[in-house]
Amino acid sequence: MTHTLHRVGTVESLRGDWVVLCMPSKDINHEGSAPKLQRFLKICRANHCVTLGDCRGGNEFYQGSQEAVLENVEDRAVVTATFNNEKDLVGVMKQLKEEDLGLSVIVSGLTDHVEKCCHEAGLKPHTVEHSLGRLGDTAKLPPQEILAIATMCGHSMVAVNFIYEMVEKVRKGSISAEQAAQELFKPCMCGIFNTDRAAKLIKALVA
Amino acid sequence: MQINQELCVACGMCISRCPVAAIKKEDTLVHIDLDECVECGVCKRSRVCPKSALEQQELTYPRTIRSLMSDVLTVAVESQISGRGTEEMKTNEVTGRFKDGWVGIAIEMGRPGVATRMYDVEKVAMAVAKENVEFEKQNPVTSMMSNPQTGMFKEELLNERVLSAILEFVIPIEKTDVMLRLIQDVAKEIHTVFSLDICSKVAADGSIPHKKILEKMGIWFSPNTKINVGLGRPLFQGN
Ligand code: SF4
Ligand code: SF4
Repeated sequence: MTHTLHRVGTVESLRGDWVVLCMPSKDINHEGSAPKLQRFLKICRANHCVTLGDCRGGNEFYQGSQEAVLENVEDRAVVTATFNNEKDLVGVMKQLKEEDLGLSVIVSGLTDHVEKCCHEAGLKPHTVEHSLGRLGDTAKLPPQEILAIATMCGHSMVAVNFIYEMVEKVRKGSISAEQAAQELFKPCMCGIFNTDRAAKLIKALVA
Repeated sequence: MQINQELCVACGMCISRCPVAAIKKEDTLVHIDLDECVECGVCKRSRVCPKSALEQQELTYPRTIRSLMSDVLTVAVESQISGRGTEEMKTNEVTGRFKDGWVGIAIEMGRPGVATRMYDVEKVAMAVAKENVEFEKQNPVTSMMSNPQTGMFKEELLNERVLSAILEFVIPIEKTDVMLRLIQDVAKEIHTVFSLDICSKVAADGSIPHKKILEKMGIWFSPNTKINVGLGRPLFQGN
């Protein structure tokens, strides 16, 4: 799982963070799914996604370019895109409904808002998954404001120490918050690390 | 992962990239603590090393499960997908995995970012197994159990450290209350963290069945969710 339901943050900050995934199901509709998955990525790009990626093949840093990500999509891939506003989210959902690719689409974000966007796009939620938070020895977790950045890579590939290092660089003025966000995106192989939200969170941290 | 000491110039550039802080600098030497390293591959993939000194050693069982459970680009044989889980609710409209009257639970051990030893995964698995759950067969974690009925794991895997391991199962909705209390209790006995997920199929009236139970129990749930919007085809025939 890309862990997209566990993205931590205030409601205000989560208003700028929407993740859309598309995937086939093994032995049901995976054969010949690659062109449809590619089409999904193109639709997301046309609707101004912030990032896109392929959990199987790796992100654009790993594969060299967005074009390579698109080209190398395989039948069993899970492809992703992030958005920073509801207008684009509704746009992409509408187009996905119209094009009827026949593959599963999953949207993560603030529940009420996703439900509203579904309604506007003429879609109905089929199954819903909630996060019940983090349990166990939670003293081992970093502070919430760092967790808000770290949890944008659900597989924890974006190290907490790397986040601190980047925040420090921004604080010292050696790089911009946007550049820091781009650096932090690189280890997130699925490409679901929302760089737009990350830059905003970093700016808030150094303010 | 290993550092080739012949090549390493101890610049320390790789240290911050490790999600579990397994790369350490002692005096003038930078090395990887192999007991802590979860074989996620992040340090090498970051291409931050100016000397290409980060080298992937050949992994043999049981250490291979570290890479399987920690490196997102390793594809699991059972599920045939990358990532540590399964298709779970993401394809529910075509698989019918979560039906009316049932809820899905996922316990994402080690997440976010803390990692877990398999003995802690076993502790939680054995606690929930008492309620006769059937662990999801396509999840690679289930194949690591010596007895999926009891949640006991293969002895040789217990000390292995992984970035995450997901316990997935489905229960009748009326058991949700008991199961969540049980999970809250076992959470007090482990040395790591887990993220907890609950899902169910939206009812005909548009309500989310598990949400009502959580509200009644007074359990916190996130304002954000993951929603399958029902576009997969062919649709599962049944409830
Ligand atoms: S492989 Fe992963 S856990 Fe091991 S040293 Fe590299 S970054 Fe750290
Ligand atoms: S980045 Fe390379 S040279 Fe620098 S400490 Fe790490 S392994 Fe050594």
